[in-house]
Amino acid sequence: MKDLAVRLAALDPDAGAALHVIAYFDRLAEARAGLHTIVRGAAVLSGCPARLVDDERRVQIRVEPDGAPAPADVRDGVRDEGWMSAPAGGATLWLERSGPPGPVDAMVLERASAAARSVLERTRGHAPQADPALVELVIDARAAEPLRLQAAARLGLNPHDPVRVVALESGAVRLLHGAGGLSGDRAGVGPAGPVTRLPASYEAAVLALRFTAAGTDQDPGPRVVHADELGGLALLAAAVGPGTEPVPDQRALDRAAATAPWVLATLDAVARSPSLRAAATALRVHHSTLQDRLAHTLPVLGWDVRDPQGRLRLQLALALRRLSLSRP
Amino acid sequence: MTNVLPETTVGPPPPFDPELSAALAVIGEQMPPQLTADMIQPMREGSLLAELSDDDLARDGAFTVTRRHVPGPDGDPDVELLILTPTTGDVVKPAIYHTHGGGMIVGNNRTGVEVLQDWAAEVPSVIVSVEYRLAPEHPHPAPVEDCYAGLVWTAANAAELGIDPERIVIAGASAGGGLAAAVALIARDRGGPALAGQMLLCPMIDDRNDTPSAVQMAGRGVWDRTANNTGWTALLGADCGGPDVSPYAAPARATDLSGLPPAFVDVGSAETFRDEDVAYASAIWRSGGQAELHVWPGGFHGFDMMVPQAAVSQDARAARVRWLKRLMGM
Repeated sequence: MKDLAVRLAALDPDAGAALHVIAYFDRLAEARAGLHTIVRGAAVLSGCPARLVDDERRVQIRVEPDGAPAPADVRDGVRDEGWMSAPAGGATLWLERSGPPGPVDAMVLERASAAARSVLERTRGHAPQADPALVELVIDARAAEPLRLQAAARLGLNPHDPVRVVALESGAVRLLHGAGGLSGDRAGVGPAGPVTRLPASYEAAVLALRFTAAGTDQDPGPRVVHADELGGLALLAAAVGPGTEPVPDQRALDRAAATAPWVLATLDAVARSPSLRAAATALRVHHSTLQDRLAHTLPVLGWDVRDPQGRLRLQLALALRRLSLSRP
Repeated sequence: MTNVLPETTVGPPPPFDPELSAALAVIGEQMPPQLTADMIQPMREGSLLAELSDDDLARDGAFTVTRRHVPGPDGDPDVELLILTPTTGDVVKPAIYHTHGGGMIVGNNRTGVEVLQDWAAEVPSVIVSVEYRLAPEHPHPAPVEDCYAGLVWTAANAAELGIDPERIVIAGASAGGGLAAAVALIARDRGGPALAGQMLLCPMIDDRNDTPSAVQMAGRGVWDRTANNTGWTALLGADCGGPDVSPYAAPARATDLSGLPPAFVDVGSAETFRDEDVAYASAIWRSGGQAELHVWPGGFHGFDMMVPQAAVSQDARAARVRWLKRLMGM
C-alpha cells in the first residue's frame, strides 16, 4: 500500500487532493481528535515533518512523515526561516519544507492549523495572556529592580532564565522564553538576558521593530528583525525618523521604485541574497529576468548594486527607507 | 460457538478510530467496501496492490532475493517460493513462512511481504513467501495445499536456506491469515512440519459470514460482508456456508484446536472478521492452547497496512514484533 502523501500526490492536485485534505481534517474534528493526531495528519499528508509549538501553553509536538513522534529537536529550537507555517491561535504549525507551498501543502496548513486552534481553545482555554500591567512593569527601566523581580515572579519567570522581549507592530509587548515561537506578526526581538535586563531588551526590540517591513512588494524586507543581528545599523535608527530629510541614495531608491511595481522587491532580494542566482530564486523569477530588471533599474538608481560597495549602499538606502517610514 | 444472533440484536457499528476514519476518507474511493465477483479481474489488473520490484525487496542490500520452484501437492504444478534472506545476523536464522492475503482471489507472493521485512529488520529471519493458486480458477483445496507443500519443502531444506527448523513461524494477513491457520491444522494432523508459532493477522477463517461483526459492518470500512461472500464463494462454490466445509478451508469450522503452535491473533473492532477471530483465539484457549489476542479499537480491515502512520497502527505493528521476539527468545 502506498502512503497517503503518495496517494494524494497522484490525485488532481487542485481539486481532488484538496478535497481529501479537507475531508481528512473534518473527520478528525468531528471525532474530537487530539493535537498529536492533527500534527501527525499534517506530516503524513504533506510527506514532511510537521511541528506545532505554543510556548504560552507549553505545547511542543513534532511528528515525522511516517507518523513517528520525533520531539528531540523541538527542544533545540532549530527552525528554518523558510519553512512553511500557519498561525494556529497563539501556536504556530510548521511544515519542515521550504516554500512556496503547493496546493496540498497550503490546504494541509490551513486545515491542520484551524483544527489545532480549535483543540487548543477547547482543551487548554484561550492562550493565557500575561497580565499586560506586569509585562509593562518588568520592562520599565524606571521601576525599582525589586518590583520588577516581583512582577517577573508573578509572570512565572525564573530570574536567571534567558528571556527576550518582543515588540509587535500593534504596540503590544510579548516575553519570549524557552524554545520561543513567534506568531508571524511583524516583530522586533530584543536580546536574551536575565530578568533584570528586560528593560534593555525591550528598548532594543522597539528599535529592531523599526527595521522590519510588511514583507510585501511595496514594502519588502524582513517581518521579524532581531536586535542581536543589527550590528552598527542600530546607530542609524537614532538619526532617522519620519521627518528626516532623505539622503540622495534614498531619493534615488524612491525614484527607481516609481518606475515599476517590482523594483523594490527586486532590489531587496538582491540586497539580502548571497548571489544574483539566489536572489532570482527568492523572487521566483528566471535568472535572465533578474538581469533584465537590473538593466532597467540601475540607470535610474545611479549606481551598480552588484559589487560589494554598491550592495552596502543599497542595504543602507533600504534601511534608511524603512526607518523613515517608522516612528522612533 | 458460532455467533448466530438475530440481526436485530446487533447495535450500530463501532466507530472507526478518528485517525483511521480520516484516512479512510482518502482511501475510500479507491477501495470500495463491497466487492463482487465481476470486480475480481479488474482488481487483479488494477494498481491497488502495488507491485514490489526486486530492488524494493532487496532494501539496499539488506536482503538477498531468490526464487525457487519446488514440488507442489501430488500431481499438481510446482509452487514458486520467494525467499528473502537478511544479509546480516546469525548464519542460521528463524524463518517466517508467509501466505499472502487478497481474499483468496487476488495477490501474489510479494503482496504484503514489506510488513514481514519490517519484522525481520528487528528479528532477523528468513522470509519464505509462497505463490499459491488463486480461486475461483483454483478452488479449495488448491490454495491451501500449495501453501502446505511449500512449507514441507522449506522445512526439509532448512539447512540449505540457513533456517533453524525449530523456529519456523507461519504468518499471513486476511485470507493469508486463514491459510496460515489452516496450514497449522494440516501440519498438526499430518505430523509435520513443526511450527514454532502461527501469526494470524485479521484472518479470514469463517465461510459462514454471519457473525454480529459481519452483520454490523456490512457496507462499511474495508472488506465487508458482500466482499467476504465473494471471496468465500470463489473458494468453495456451492458448498460455501453449508454443512460440509473442511476446517482446512475455513479454520473456524475446526472443532479441535488442541496441539497447535502458539498463536498471535489480531483484528480491528470495526471489521467483518472481529467476532470470528476473537472466537478462534477463545477456542484455542478452551482447547488448552496458547494465544495472544489483540482487538484494536476502531480498526477497519487491514488498517495497519493501509494507514501505517496512525497511532493505533503503530501500536498494532509493535505488538507483533514484541510477540515474535518473545517467541524466538530474543
